[in-house]
Amino acid sequence: MASVPTLVSSLNPATTSDDVKRAELSEIDASTKWPALFLLASAVGWLLIGTLFALISSFKMHSPDFLGNYEWLTFGRVRTAHLNAVTYGWSVNASFAVAFWLMARLSRSVLRHAGLLIVAAVFWNIGVTVGIFGILAGDSTSIEWLEMPVYATPLLFLAYALVGAWAVITFRFGKSPHIYVSQWYILAALFWFPWLYSVAEIMIIFAPAGGTVQALVNWWFAHNVLGLWFTPIGLAAIYYFLPKVLGKPIHSYYLSVIGFWSLAIFYNWAGVHHLIGGPVPVWVQSAGIAASFMMIIPVIVTAINHHMTMVGSFGALKYSPTLRFIVFGAVSYTLTSLQGSSMAIRSWAEVTHFTHYTVAHAHWGMYAFFTMVMFGSIYYIMPRLLLKEWPSAKLISVHFWATAVGITLYVADLSIGGVIQGLLLNTPVLAHKFGLQQGTDPVPFLDTVKATIPYLKWRSYAGILITIGHVAFAVNFVWMVARSVQTTKTEPTLFRSPPEMEVTAQ
Amino acid sequence: MSDEPIKPNPQIEQAAASDESIQKVHAILLREKPEPKEGYTPMPLLLLGFITAMIFGCTLYFVHYRGGFSPLVYDERYDPSTAAATTQVEKVDPVAQGKRLFQTCAACHQATGMGVPGMYPPLVGSEWVVGSEEHLVRIMLNGLAGPLKVEGKDYNGNMPAFGPGGGYNWSDEKISYVVTYIRQEWGNKAGEITAGKVKEIREKNTRMTPWSAAELEAIK
Repeated sequence: MASVPTLVSSLNPATTSDDVKRAELSEIDASTKWPALFLLASAVGWLLIGTLFALISSFKMHSPDFLGNYEWLTFGRVRTAHLNAVTYGWSVNASFAVAFWLMARLSRSVLRHAGLLIVAAVFWNIGVTVGIFGILAGDSTSIEWLEMPVYATPLLFLAYALVGAWAVITFRFGKSPHIYVSQWYILAALFWFPWLYSVAEIMIIFAPAGGTVQALVNWWFAHNVLGLWFTPIGLAAIYYFLPKVLGKPIHSYYLSVIGFWSLAIFYNWAGVHHLIGGPVPVWVQSAGIAASFMMIIPVIVTAINHHMTMVGSFGALKYSPTLRFIVFGAVSYTLTSLQGSSMAIRSWAEVTHFTHYTVAHAHWGMYAFFTMVMFGSIYYIMPRLLLKEWPSAKLISVHFWATAVGITLYVADLSIGGVIQGLLLNTPVLAHKFGLQQGTDPVPFLDTVKATIPYLKWRSYAGILITIGHVAFAVNFVWMVARSVQTTKTEPTLFRSPPEMEVTAQ
Repeated sequence: MSDEPIKPNPQIEQAAASDESIQKVHAILLREKPEPKEGYTPMPLLLLGFITAMIFGCTLYFVHYRGGFSPLVYDERYDPSTAAATTQVEKVDPVAQGKRLFQTCAACHQATGMGVPGMYPPLVGSEWVVGSEEHLVRIMLNGLAGPLKVEGKDYNGNMPAFGPGGGYNWSDEKISYVVTYIRQEWGNKAGEITAGKVKEIREKNTRMTPWSAAELEAIK
């Protein structure tokens, strides 16, 4: 004889707390639909534009005559346009969408006044468009990561303030008594970014600080925008989607706490390692190096936490697109962060700094970690916004393999090329010993440039592969938005059918 | 951690229960796993040891390569004790320094040191330049106004003050460099005036207005 509560719940499907939660989630998802959709569509658009700029600048590295007659497409402008399009266009748009979708869900609070959020998102995209147009027109400020001309940046800051305030308001209206680890990261990032951006804009562009302080502020910003904005958003997404797709809890709350606070304490110091060997007081450099090493703590702790959550469920990688992208990103986060710490070693920085090695490292972090995590998140979020399924599993598969192989090739190729370049530039004796270069010591500068050309060509091939992945993604995205709602198809779009639905709920 | 019971929201409950089409559309939501939760596996002791070792090691590194917390030290191999023992104070050539500073003076006295007839007196062979140190340094400190006789010719101009109260406010060193330069350039062969000498004159001189030739001649 069943007990009374069980009997009641078996008669009415909506009485269990789980069903109430699900009904609530559908309301929350619906409230985020239009702003999230606008941000994600803009993100995909910028991804394609940024990829195009990337390809042009990559070709120019080994074929300088390519599009050489167009002032607007000279290397200095088009590479900068690439960086800004993928950073402020693709990455920030995607992270806005993912951040407040997660925030609304985890706070169990519907998004209020979604219309105003769309206005903010429109402003952001106008700002980015004006900024990139300005860069191509030759108005770049020539400060790395802050190249957008002054007539674009206040608009960006305003739009950001609106979006950030919205996520905080959503958090404040939240009903959840427990603050989940993803929320810590998102909330912290929402406060960190405006602090970084406004201080950097004021101290470098609007009321410039003098001398080396300016360089310090520049690298403090450029490194922190990765570590205190993109990294927390990426980690928040991993912390949500990993247990969500697998249907099991995150391994350890205690590890989450240590991972979060050690990142918060140490990352802020690490940017100075870009100035090792420069005319910066040595104690500042040493503090930056020590902090870069302390970053091993949050990275290892987070890696253990994610790995132990994953253990026993690796089979799910065969089926779930979200999980596959997220796990690729999580592993990349660990590896690229450890590489980053090693790059702070003085003697190693002497070789790798100012070479293609740094470029490889930046792409490992921003692409193999952050962008892959965003792809995974978008594969999960979109069906819940549109109540439609992804049209083609094949295109998702193309997207994954093209980008995963492409970025791996890219990073491996440029890392090797960068080390060779660094050895030839700095320690030719060592380069001779390794058989990298015959002849004179020091190596003529032009020879060091020529030595990198094969690697630059392979970088372009890897870039073409990544572009194929992006096109597959964009086609799937547009197709999904454009197709009519199919209420008959309720199965998720997976790489292949799992033996039991238990394994993966995409 | 146990799942806390959540008070059902009557509005949502109704909506979810009554509308069948919504139920159908929500298939995506119904199939997804519950919202993520945290496990509470304790931290492995080995990790605690690792974190402690990292803090210890990085602190040692920072203390070792702190460079005396000096804003002027850029090299991590800097060691204050050996630096003090081996560093030689670089000898400054007052004439070379003075030549650089003289660009300011050359506006009136000209690069040739010949001045402009009737207005700016020459420095070449001038008794005011190669003569009394006391007079020359005072002219530099406070300036000189009004008629002046140099090598028998009359001049009438205004020289600004390079000491306190003037727009330049040069240090003792700078003044010593430039006066040494003009005393040893263009065939002038007078002795060096040290920064110490300039300091000495500056200290016993409380005047803040330009000198006249007569006032200077009254000194010593």
